[in-house]
Amino acid sequence: MDNAIRQNLVSRRYGKNRVMMVLCLIAAILGIFFLSVILGTLLYRGVSALNLDVFTMSIPAQGSRGGLINAMYGTALVTGCAILIAAPIGILAATYLVEYANGTKLTEAAKFLNDILLSAPSIIIGVFVYGAVVVPMHGNSAFAGILALALIALPVVNRTTQDMLLLVPNELREATAALGAPRWKSMTMVIYRSAWTGILTGILLAVARISGETAPLLFTAGYSKFMNASLTGPIATLPVAINTLAADAGEDLKQLAWAGALIITVAILALNILARVLSGRRQ
Amino acid sequence: MADATQTAGFQALDTSAVTRKFRIQDRIFYLMTLGSATLVVLLLLAIIVVLIIDALPTFQAFGFSFLWGTKWSAPADIYGAVPAVVGTLVSSFIAMLIAVPLGIGIAIFLTELCPGSLRRPISTAIELLAGIPSIIYGIVGLFILVPLMQTYILPFLMMTIGQVPLIGLLFQAPAPGVGLLTASLVLAIMILPFITAISRDVFSTVPPMLRESAYGTGMTTWEVARHILIPYTRRGLVGGIMLGLGRALGETMAVTFVIGSVSRLQSSIISPSTTISAQIANNFGDADGLQLSSLIALGLLLFVLSFCVLALARWMIGRGNAL
Repeated sequence: MDNAIRQNLVSRRYGKNRVMMVLCLIAAILGIFFLSVILGTLLYRGVSALNLDVFTMSIPAQGSRGGLINAMYGTALVTGCAILIAAPIGILAATYLVEYANGTKLTEAAKFLNDILLSAPSIIIGVFVYGAVVVPMHGNSAFAGILALALIALPVVNRTTQDMLLLVPNELREATAALGAPRWKSMTMVIYRSAWTGILTGILLAVARISGETAPLLFTAGYSKFMNASLTGPIATLPVAINTLAADAGEDLKQLAWAGALIITVAILALNILARVLSGRRQ
Repeated sequence: MADATQTAGFQALDTSAVTRKFRIQDRIFYLMTLGSATLVVLLLLAIIVVLIIDALPTFQAFGFSFLWGTKWSAPADIYGAVPAVVGTLVSSFIAMLIAVPLGIGIAIFLTELCPGSLRRPISTAIELLAGIPSIIYGIVGLFILVPLMQTYILPFLMMTIGQVPLIGLLFQAPAPGVGLLTASLVLAIMILPFITAISRDVFSTVPPMLRESAYGTGMTTWEVARHILIPYTRRGLVGGIMLGLGRALGETMAVTFVIGSVSRLQSSIISPSTTISAQIANNFGDADGLQLSSLIALGLLLFVLSFCVLALARWMIGRGNAL
């Protein structure tokens, strides 16, 4: 009798386990399925839309030939300038927070605020730059887009550099101090060098993050069908071009949007993989 | 002897000059780092100040009734925040309802069931997918999910759950494919990699000893997950989920493509609707005057909303680490 109850209980527990494990398996299959549908669609529609024109011509009018070269150039320009502004400031800010004032209440607050900035909705950054830069300058400009992206990259670089500096063993700092090296020399010639793969990973991740951003560029960098080298005029970027072209009624322009989507996704995945390889080598 | 003091004195002179030079350089380096750290803090304050200044005309025109105004009409120049706020909260809530069990399920699969050789490739693939820009989810949603919803899923939902009293109100026509439910699905797929990665990371912090002992007492895999993994990592798990919620609340492009952008309060979750970020993305370009200010006021609301969620998440994760 007692044994029968126990048997019953055990089989119920095992039954429940089996049901739940099958559900977990289904979750995994579903997750992988969803994500492969997205990548598969992207590859299928993107590859069929790729041709030489995409890489050599600017965004066309409805019905004529054209490509995305101006948008690719715009993305490279805006992303590159943004990271050139954000990386040094982010690294220096992290240096202060970790090396000079670690553990104080004020630094903890500054780290917290940086994390808030890190996770703030990117469209808010766009609205802010619109109010602070676009309105005073009377119009969209590549410059405003650069500032918006720099604002998004800055907390990423800051956070990853903080984490990397915390990993540098204290003995290194003490050893350089014992040699009589001034602090800035110890930082630039020893500490940064021992953490550089980690810092570079952070910068790569920041580049990957901002090169796919659309919302903050909509009303800062704006959109243009033409090749534009000046920083004061509106400039097309790949994500904004995809956004504009996908909404267009013309089938050929929608095609171009898929080609752009494939290009930007491949670029971002490549950056992410590069970052992984770098951080893997460190460990 | 005299020779030694002379050398020492000479060196002392020399080092003091070098020391002074180094001290000045050190000071400059210190000020540069301090300036950068201050800049980060000032930027966040500047964002808040600029948003408040630009949103001021709306609060002057409507007072705080902007917060509970249910009408958003550009022709009538009347603006209320409720439709967009409700759309944001409901779409994020449904997205979490789908993504959290799915993400935790995948994490349990990865840590407890998955054969070792598959674990790394699947984890890596999922983490890489977290980096795909949101506009990609937006266009795939628009061109793949919306037609599917329109022709198969929504009619089916209307025919079945839509007929049930009370709950049926949530599933009533018109249902053109774009709408709140479609947006929630896209959001759910978007934050799924994020939730999965976080859950897997916190599950891996459970000491192997604890897990082995549980298995040793005869617990089934599900019981280990339910009674050991999840309770042990509760704070980190909830914190990670809140971070995912923060992303869903602020997500713009994926939602803008598939939500239909109708700024009206509706009982049906399959009808076109809007969210704060979709509202801003759609109307910001050609808005001016009071409408522009109202959109910025919406942005301020979104910022406050995500700030609260993120602060709570950080607090929970921080406490989790301290334990």
